[in-house]
Amino acid sequence: MKRTILVFAISFLILLSVVMWFYSSGQYYSATDAIQFGIILLLVVFAMFIGYKRLKSAKRGEPVEDELSKKILLRTASTSYYISLYIWVFILFIKDRISYDTEELIGYGILGMALSFAICWLLFNFRGIRHD
Amino acid sequence: MTNKIKEYRARFNLTQDDLAKMVNVRRETIVFLEKNKYNPSLKLAYDLAKVFKISIEDLFFFED
Repeated sequence: MKRTILVFAISFLILLSVVMWFYSSGQYYSATDAIQFGIILLLVVFAMFIGYKRLKSAKRGEPVEDELSKKILLRTASTSYYISLYIWVFILFIKDRISYDTEELIGYGILGMALSFAICWLLFNFRGIRHD
Repeated sequence: MTNKIKEYRARFNLTQDDLAKMVNVRRETIVFLEKNKYNPSLKLAYDLAKVFKISIEDLFFFED
């Protein structure tokens, strides 16, 4: 239950910081800002979905985590780590070829990592883990 | 690896929820097992076989 509350708390904090970031950046929003905001919103929705699933399991009297969910999380972590290595290599490759700031590139890298984690989790959660 | 969980569950008149609670896993795990999308640990396989009062070999089997 503690971890479920943590999931909701972190999602809320992320949402709050994004709203603050949007308000502090003034009236002008570029297309890349909108894309970043969209991706962060998607990730928050994903985190909320996981939190809701855990809450539902707890209400039903089922264990919040079992061997399948742990295995899915483990496989997701390893696969997304592997993908994120390529994301960072790609960012290093395009670093000198584009006009983005280093902070922006790091932001994109972190967003890419989070997005790859979410996509991997959804993939394993719906496809299953057959040969383990 | 395939299994006869769905068949035995129907024979014992159990819902997926009931079976999940009996072996202490989430209902989704039973759904995945029945669809052959997940191979359980030895402990879970043993617990499931124990619920249906059969051996693991009778519940899970390999197909070529």
